[in-house]
Amino acid sequence: VKERLTALSSRYTLALRDYLVDGGEATLLEAYELGRTALGLKLGILEVAALHQEALVSALKLAAPPEGEKLAKRAAEFFVEAVAPHEMSRRGELEAKSVLSEIVRKLEEKVRTTQEELDERARIERLKDEFVSVVSHEFRTPLTSIQGSLGLLRCGVGGGELSPKARRLLDLAQRNVDRLVRLVNDILDLQRLASDGFVFDLAPATIGALLDQAMDANLAYAAQVGVALALGDVPRGARVRVDPDRFLQVMANLTSNAVKHSAPGEAVTIDAGCRDGFVRVNVSDRGPGIPAEFRHRIFQRFAQAEPSLDHGRRGSGLGLSIAKAIVERLEGRIGFEDREAGGTTFFFELPQWEGECPEPPSPGGRP
Amino acid sequence: VTGLRRILVVEDDPDVQEVTELTLCDVGGFEVRIVATADEALRVVASYRPDLVLMDVMLPGMDGLGALARLKARPETAAVPVVLMTARAQPHEVARYRELGCADVIAKPFDPATLSDQLRTIWSRG
Repeated sequence: VKERLTALSSRYTLALRDYLVDGGEATLLEAYELGRTALGLKLGILEVAALHQEALVSALKLAAPPEGEKLAKRAAEFFVEAVAPHEMSRRGELEAKSVLSEIVRKLEEKVRTTQEELDERARIERLKDEFVSVVSHEFRTPLTSIQGSLGLLRCGVGGGELSPKARRLLDLAQRNVDRLVRLVNDILDLQRLASDGFVFDLAPATIGALLDQAMDANLAYAAQVGVALALGDVPRGARVRVDPDRFLQVMANLTSNAVKHSAPGEAVTIDAGCRDGFVRVNVSDRGPGIPAEFRHRIFQRFAQAEPSLDHGRRGSGLGLSIAKAIVERLEGRIGFEDREAGGTTFFFELPQWEGECPEPPSPGGRP
Repeated sequence: VTGLRRILVVEDDPDVQEVTELTLCDVGGFEVRIVATADEALRVVASYRPDLVLMDVMLPGMDGLGALARLKARPETAAVPVVLMTARAQPHEVARYRELGCADVIAKPFDPATLSDQLRTIWSRG
């Protein structure tokens, strides 16, 4: 009996240790509670077993991950097996209790460190959010003065005619103010997306209409740098449920990225297709492709590969991270692939909207 | 329309004040008065009788939204269009400002070449 009990209680210990390593937090807290209850009541081992079983059953209900559920079940079975022999020696009972107290000690430790880690992580996240939003606001005031002064000089408010050289310098300064504004806006957007502070105004729309708007919005920039923008095959009537502004932001980021990596005279093609309940949008260029060493971090913040063809419009290095965050908020996925004849296709897939077009939301009816 | 259109600007940063004044006077051809706080705006608005109030949302003390609510609550100023200047406002924020009675929202930094025309469309909308 003693041998059997020792073997079983070590199995029980192992099972609960698995909990400590793999179990979810709900499971962990439940296990902690049940152990404490058992020790605190100083009950006989049979009563303890009954309590354990009860607590484990409620843990089963709480533990979401299937592994947690499996472990909880196994642990319950082991314990019942362990106390099944009715003539349990006093020694066996003490052993079982010492195993339990060891488990409780470890659980307490784990619970404490987990909570401290969570608190610390939350504190850092909060600091970061505050910092980003303060920076974004504090940058805006001086930027308004600089942008204003440059704009006024360009409007001729300084008096007199500007020399061509002065105008060139003003244009240069203006381009860089624009870039700084884009950077500040992108940083703020990314922070809002990461902290769920971005409210999405979702409505069903056809992919045809959305891509027409995207073409309109991006043609001018492409033309400016001599790159053609073409709309290929599109299942025009297919619908997706998106926030149109955010959809256009994804398209602007992917398109300007493709244009930036295209030589003058080349074309960037936008097309779309439906498959397996998803609408897929492709933005394809004939650029130099993505260097192997850069591929794994292309969606990371401030990741930029080799200096691109540039065309005088440097990005913030945040465009693709923003596109990814938006697509994922829309329950889609984003990726890229090499094109056979050279160049890159960036694509994203959004769930196809099959529902009826609902009434347009009433103004102010958003959460 | 007789005389110059009058705009009351509420902005606390001196450099932005100057740039806004030049933009509205020299480019737009408006008459402009500038104050630094919402309280001052509420004090002078009755005597200055502006055709439009251009106001930053973030102000020391009472913010632009508080001032907007008070302007809309007073019968003598309720009809004066109020345009708010903000950071990158999200659509739901813009919707809220409009519900509070603001006529338009302008993002900072604004473009001096187009600001005055933007304000003119508000009057033409009536």
